[in-house]
Amino acid sequence: MQIEITPSVKNLGQKNLGGVVMYRITDKKDLSPIDYFIEVEAPHVAKAWKPGQFVIFITHEKGERIPMSVYKAEDGKIGMFIRKLGKTTLELYHEFDVGDTLWSITGPLGKAIEVKDYGNVVFASDAVCGHAENHATLKAMKEAGNYTISIQSFEDKENVYPEKFLAKSVADEYYLTTQDGSMGIKGDFLDVIKGLIENDKVDIIFAGGNLGTLAQLAELTRPYGIPTITTIRQIMVDGTGMCGSCRILYDGKIRFACRDGPMFDAHKVDWEDVIRRGKRFLELEKRARERYLQRLNEKHGKEVF
Amino acid sequence: MAKIIKERIPTPERSVDERVKSFAEVNLGYTFELAQKEAARCIQCPYDFAPCIKGCPVHINIPAFISKIKEGDIKEALRIIWNDNTLPAITGRVCPQEDQCEGACVVGKVGTAVNIGKLERFVADYAREQGIDKELLEEELKKIEPKDGKIAIVGSGPAGLTAAGELAKMGYKVTIFEALHLPGGVLIYGIPEFRLPKEILKVELEKLKKLGVEVKTDYLVGRTVTLEELCEEYDAVFIGTGAGTPKLLNLPGILLDRIYSANEFLTRVNLMKAYQFPEYDTPIGVGKKTIVIGAGNTAMDAARSALRLGSDVTIAYRRGKEDMTARIEEIHHAEEEGVKFEFFLNPVEFIGNENHKVKAVKFEKMKPLEEKDKRGKRKIVGTGEYVTLEADTVIIAIGLEPNKIITESKGLKVNPNGTLVVDETLMTSIPGVFAGGDAIRGEATVILAMGDGKRAAESIHRYIESKKGA
Repeated sequence: MQIEITPSVKNLGQKNLGGVVMYRITDKKDLSPIDYFIEVEAPHVAKAWKPGQFVIFITHEKGERIPMSVYKAEDGKIGMFIRKLGKTTLELYHEFDVGDTLWSITGPLGKAIEVKDYGNVVFASDAVCGHAENHATLKAMKEAGNYTISIQSFEDKENVYPEKFLAKSVADEYYLTTQDGSMGIKGDFLDVIKGLIENDKVDIIFAGGNLGTLAQLAELTRPYGIPTITTIRQIMVDGTGMCGSCRILYDGKIRFACRDGPMFDAHKVDWEDVIRRGKRFLELEKRARERYLQRLNEKHGKEVF
Repeated sequence: MAKIIKERIPTPERSVDERVKSFAEVNLGYTFELAQKEAARCIQCPYDFAPCIKGCPVHINIPAFISKIKEGDIKEALRIIWNDNTLPAITGRVCPQEDQCEGACVVGKVGTAVNIGKLERFVADYAREQGIDKELLEEELKKIEPKDGKIAIVGSGPAGLTAAGELAKMGYKVTIFEALHLPGGVLIYGIPEFRLPKEILKVELEKLKKLGVEVKTDYLVGRTVTLEELCEEYDAVFIGTGAGTPKLLNLPGILLDRIYSANEFLTRVNLMKAYQFPEYDTPIGVGKKTIVIGAGNTAMDAARSALRLGSDVTIAYRRGKEDMTARIEEIHHAEEEGVKFEFFLNPVEFIGNENHKVKAVKFEKMKPLEEKDKRGKRKIVGTGEYVTLEADTVIIAIGLEPNKIITESKGLKVNPNGTLVVDETLMTSIPGVFAGGDAIRGEATVILAMGDGKRAAESIHRYIESKKGA
């Protein structure tokens, strides 16, 4: 069952029957030492995408389907924030440049957030996908007449994104925090939210990022009865409700994060299972990552990552 | 009349030793000589009587194509099959012939039925290998008269592919919308390589391309584009989205690791080629002892795939051996390959270890009653006795239901079981929108889906003609 490993992973041929589909990369920039921005042509997805929805991309023919949050969808292009985490996201960073094409992008997937006038809308994020959603959601919320409050948490100053990629421009009120206090407020977004609640400034909270922090957020807002909507990131295959890989227990019932989410009422989510199920393939993912990094470093003759 | 040859000519198969280590196709099909020998067993019932034709959901003229095999005229044999079925290489492999054509075969009353499925497959395979199908396709292409009318097909499974092919042959401009990155639907994500090589599907898709059909992958209708938008842009729409959502058992422990729906397991293995991880990027975790719950074709496919990934596999079914719904050939192959079977066991709980990985399944022992249910199967009741079987991997293959993403479209009427409401022409509650296959049947077969695709194509043609007249 051994197969030959193709030296180049870039896609130059056509995939679709009848028509050529080329998901061309039009922009790629570093956001931090571990996160990057990438923009890809995908007019059919860009046209229909709304905040809250995600996409699934495949880098090449042997690639896996990777669900990804969207930072913006404009002019037929999809902009994403991606963390160099596993084999695929590392490979996309190191081996695909502007002008190269991805093999597939499907979307938008999942349900859109209901954009309406809520009053004071908070979006809090502490990881790459959340930061993308932070910007995308508040942009729409601001346009809908809401007072927008954005909180973005980073590990330290070095990991803070360039200003133009922060959600500052779409926020009426903006907070930046770092874990070590090297920039902005020291701590995570939970501390900021506590303060906002005390000042009675919150009508609804949206949040995305680390599942552990989101679970804490749910407990923080529960006693106040503040609507809290969070992104539930789960391992997916098709992303269309076909496989059940992303099933969660929600209000005691089985729900699929891809089809019924990815945004859920945080107070109804069974967080323990959600956090655990994200690690289902950890050993295999580690193996793939190490195998890839070895290849990458050999290719460059030095430790690239 | 010549004497009936009671025993069928066996088809060559890969050895069990070879099979359990490989995803290569198990049944190797008839050679020309063997096919002619098997064809000679057909007693050529007249068209109006032939029970096999009546038993076939799309009424292929079976005695006629078998007679052409006897004469050695494979092109004519293929032409006869194509009249009713454009995907014989696929149906020859996946149809439950024992319940259809072969189940009705007269020869079967005195011996074993004529191996109609394998003969159908032979015609398709031989024609493909010899380029005969291309010749025939060229002839078909010459006959096509372009018509005004654009048709959107939602889903590229058996129903969609058939509807697309038929409409293209009528001269319509056809576009297929597929949510996944590759077309084929259940034929590519569900049915494993060892039962239906992907190469065969690829050839069928090439044929459609020649007929002028366009396939847009990465399009999830209901999200990327709405049904309403399709209705505005196209003269008619056909929904062939199948039954894509797995039924999961809402039992304690369902969220434990290494419990897969058959759809997830098979999609990872077939579509994403997880069996070639890490050359392919998609992983699959299979332990040493797998329990598959269910006994349909999907259960057999999952069980035999897990076996090939190195696991010991047991199929646990809540009913009895004779109630299993899988094709006989698949059950037989599974047994040969070493899949074990446990009957009258109904799962009640999944038990996990300290790492939240499944380690066992608790079942209630069931017993059959004399009384039969709607489907003619013996009803079963619990005995109050329980048994726990060890397993570090569980695959749930208890059935599927239609995906809500499309059925929630504005204006579509849906039955309580989630299938779409259609009239006798297969038109849904929205004028100009037709549907077929598992999207209207719940869970049925590839051939019934193809039959619907063909019927819907005819209805769409009449619908477009009537609109022109109006």
